[in-house]
Amino acid sequence: MTATIRFFARFRELLGTDIQAPVEAGATLTGLVRRIAKQNSEGYEAIFDESGNFREFVIIMKNGKRIERGAAGITLVSDNDEIAVFPPVAGG
Amino acid sequence: MLSVREQERYRRQVLLFGEEGQERLKNARIFIAGAGGLGCPIALYLAVAGIGTITIADKDVVEQTNLNRQILHYDRDIGRKKTVSAEEKLREANPDIRVDAIDTTIDAGNVSRLVGRSDGIVDAMDNYSTRYMLNETAIAKKIPLFHGAIRGLHGQATTIIPGETACLACIFPHAPPQEVFPVIGVTPGFIGMVQATEVIKYLTGQGNLLTNRLLIWDGMESRAEELSVERNPACSACCRGGKTTPGEKIR
Repeated sequence: MTATIRFFARFRELLGTDIQAPVEAGATLTGLVRRIAKQNSEGYEAIFDESGNFREFVIIMKNGKRIERGAAGITLVSDNDEIAVFPPVAGG
Repeated sequence: MLSVREQERYRRQVLLFGEEGQERLKNARIFIAGAGGLGCPIALYLAVAGIGTITIADKDVVEQTNLNRQILHYDRDIGRKKTVSAEEKLREANPDIRVDAIDTTIDAGNVSRLVGRSDGIVDAMDNYSTRYMLNETAIAKKIPLFHGAIRGLHGQATTIIPGETACLACIFPHAPPQEVFPVIGVTPGFIGMVQATEVIKYLTGQGNLLTNRLLIWDGMESRAEELSVERNPACSACCRGGKTTPGEKIR
């Protein structure tokens, strides 16, 4: 099973995008993104807090549907899922 | 009625939406929050399009580091108020419109009065605390909020119609951390043009607005994408699922 992880904006600069990630049965959304983000410590810290949870401003979507940050840890990832991880930008 | 001079000035866009559309722009009032990277190109293009009354608010003085992107401010303006500089250029660009430039910090105490009887609010701010205030004001007054934000070569934009679409707090319930963000002028230019286009479409009643969609621009990849967004029934700003009734915080 594989899922596609799409990072945006700053996260994309640090981690790339359209990453094809192998998914094991029972993998959660948080667990999968954590594993991919660990490839770059700055990228990981931008997305996750000290407890390994998504930072509160991070927008997470699975197949175009918003996933609440609190639910990401219990949301399972299936074959061909597309996960989007997006940080709002703030400048003007 | 359009004057002869206005008919001539706007002739090429009257081909797009007729004299009636141009009259709508002339009768419109738009509030632009900020005369910085986004606010400058937005104000300039709305001015030359013939938006009848533009109110633009900013608290800052022009600094040298602003000049790579804040295109209404020139080298000679360093040290002048951004509002003074912006008003001068906008009046020169189009003497047939009214420009009110207000030198102030937008806060909860004055935001409603500043927006006044505007037909729409353009978000050209650089922080989310003011953005949330603009969002609540838009909800309270039932007028649209045209959101945009940028960082580096990345940007985002969406249009919010209170009561109908996801509001800013539905989409971004939590603000990202504050930072000194990298930026090059083309990015607020690009996102500002999306916002200004939305304003013109809204006022003339043309096209499909960027509602319930977050446009995401990646200038590094030259790729524009969309995320679908929807109203959050528990939104504290626009839905009764929150602790307040819509717009209760600001009237």
